[in-house]
Amino acid sequence: MSGKKSPVLNRFHVIFLTQNIMFGTGILSLPQKLSSLGYSQALFPLLFGVIACLTLWPIIWINSKYENDNLFRINEKLLGKWLGKSINLLIVAVYIIFLSSVINNYTTLIQTSALPEQSMVVPLIMLLLVLVYIVNGGITSIARFCMMTFFLIFPTIFFLRWAIEKGEVTHLFPLFNFNGKEALEAMKKGYLSMLGYELIMFYYPYIANKKKAFKYTTIGIWITVLLYFITVLVSVMYFSKWQLENVEYSVLHLLKAGELPFIERIDIFVITLWVLAILATASAYLWTAKKGLESLRNKKKSSHVYILTLVVLLFEWMPLNPGFQEKFYEINYNIYYGILGWPIVLCVVHLLKKKRVRP
Amino acid sequence: MCCTFTEEKAGAAMKKKIILLLTVCICLTACSSKEKKVPLEDIGMVGVMAIDYIDEDLFRLTMTIPQFSEDAKENNESFTVETDLLSKGIIEIESLSDKKVVLNQLQVILINEEFARLGQTEEIIRFLYRNSEIGNKVLIAVVKESGEKILSAKYPDKPNINFYLNDLLGPSINTAFNPNTNIHDFMYTQTNPVFDSILPYLTKKEDEIELSGIALYKAKSMIKVLTPQEGLIIQSLQNRKNLMPLYLTLNENNGEEKLLLDLLNSRVNMKSNKDLSSPKLTIHLKLEGTLVEYKGVKEGQLNTNKDISKLQNEINQKLESDILNFMEELKELQVDPVGLTENFRMYYNGDWSHKKTIDVISKLELDITVETIIFSTGTLK
Repeated sequence: MSGKKSPVLNRFHVIFLTQNIMFGTGILSLPQKLSSLGYSQALFPLLFGVIACLTLWPIIWINSKYENDNLFRINEKLLGKWLGKSINLLIVAVYIIFLSSVINNYTTLIQTSALPEQSMVVPLIMLLLVLVYIVNGGITSIARFCMMTFFLIFPTIFFLRWAIEKGEVTHLFPLFNFNGKEALEAMKKGYLSMLGYELIMFYYPYIANKKKAFKYTTIGIWITVLLYFITVLVSVMYFSKWQLENVEYSVLHLLKAGELPFIERIDIFVITLWVLAILATASAYLWTAKKGLESLRNKKKSSHVYILTLVVLLFEWMPLNPGFQEKFYEINYNIYYGILGWPIVLCVVHLLKKKRVRP
Repeated sequence: MCCTFTEEKAGAAMKKKIILLLTVCICLTACSSKEKKVPLEDIGMVGVMAIDYIDEDLFRLTMTIPQFSEDAKENNESFTVETDLLSKGIIEIESLSDKKVVLNQLQVILINEEFARLGQTEEIIRFLYRNSEIGNKVLIAVVKESGEKILSAKYPDKPNINFYLNDLLGPSINTAFNPNTNIHDFMYTQTNPVFDSILPYLTKKEDEIELSGIALYKAKSMIKVLTPQEGLIIQSLQNRKNLMPLYLTLNENNGEEKLLLDLLNSRVNMKSNKDLSSPKLTIHLKLEGTLVEYKGVKEGQLNTNKDISKLQNEINQKLESDILNFMEELKELQVDPVGLTENFRMYYNGDWSHKKTIDVISKLELDITVETIIFSTGTLK
């Protein structure tokens, strides 16, 4: 085992790490991603919560068999050096691309709604500098940042009250007005906003009370699910079907319904506050990618994090045409879904190996 | 000990790095491009935008920009151009103005009746809905004749046309028949198949502007102007809480009675029979208020509960027949500004189209009961 790995994450750290890594820009466009379901999307986040808990179970199980190792080490132990390392390389690549898509999403959002007349170069560099700073503090610093972010962002839920006042509860009915194809499409697009809880595969060794890891992570998942549920519910009440489908970042329009005498545009205020959520999500992915690079090269170096950040920056600046970029990200999302199922494969390999050793 | 020493050392190095970074950042601010920043005095924040019909391709765009310079005689600048695209018009106005025209502070959009009747309102509003500079709370109104005339007229006792129009169209208890339609509401009713849009309707009087009715749309085009009383019925059926005072004339044929009720509370319950082939809707409307003024045969006799409940019954009957008549009219026009068909959509599995709304509304059978409760008749016996 490389380096010291004293357990440092207490229960609150785990809960809020899980919660905040999931909670990125996904929520801002979730109603649009689920729009193939029309008004019946309101209950879908709850279904997502159940699926997340089901997929979490094999993750925690395989980790509990190798308490002091993260997924990168487990891969190498179970699959051998070469196959393990190749899989690890894939995971690092997927996470780095995912990270750049998160940041790309946010900068596009800022560009279109808050700073339409400004180039994004300086804000992007600033964002990445802060990101590096948080990641350099290690997983505890990320966890603390996540806690702070949660308490700073949570009050924005208050701004939904005007939309609730104006909305129509009858939109929720009929509850199951969709067919299987529509449900699958919504599932594929919408589940993206749930991703992030599986990063526990990488910070599991740092958790102080490993026996209760499943419980804490589940609490984190359900906090997020509840927030998603409220947001989608209010969106369904407030918008028409056409608006759910066609308005980008419709959640920001919910906030625009606000009527505070001293703030004209609450949405701009919230978008800028959202940088915290993006930093929380992005820092966890960068940290994981850094761990991956360490395990690939078998050494710890502070330059790793800078190299990865540069790669992210290159992704942002690469002169790709938007259509290709979108497709590229989409392929990446599909591989990412594969990573969610990967622990099941590992569980099987683990059991097979055990059987072979025993007799 | 050794550990703390190295930590201290690392801390000092970190501090040095941070100071260096800050210095670099401060120095770099000098390199930022200057020409992009426009000083506040040079920004023209459009307050009101008016659109008037010219012909099929062209419309007249008028914008007012508040004037803050002390030397200016008028407190508003007003610009008019003829254009076929809204964004092109805005650019043309910029070339007329000495300022950079921005839409961030847009408060009111006026559409003239001809333009609205030809079904082009949605295109304009959709353009503004897409623009992220503009908030969703921009109010929309239809004007009789020309929006340009309203904006260019003088209102000697009003401070500024921007504030005047915004206050006139904003929520107020005495004009609570006004739907206060903003960009979001308009797009919502235009894109929701169970609704037909309504907008406040303005008429230019000598020295003022009057909120004289409600413009009713059928799908994309305006078809009719409704009276404030009809607007009030729509608002009460949409379950709006603060309604405007209700003026009623009872027994028009023998012993005419006139009264004014201040409505304090209203509640509406709707229940549909879920049947699309012979749709039936039961509506129960409960109104609570105080009797402010009364003129008629019962004057001086409204002392006991019995008298008041008799008056309440008369009011109920009158309101029921008024609402029913209005609904019959809407049925003939095949429009649904209240969203009554939502009560059928919520039990329907599948896609609901505007055609279904028309189907249901033209066959709809209504059962309306009104329950009025008069709390008090004042402090005199």
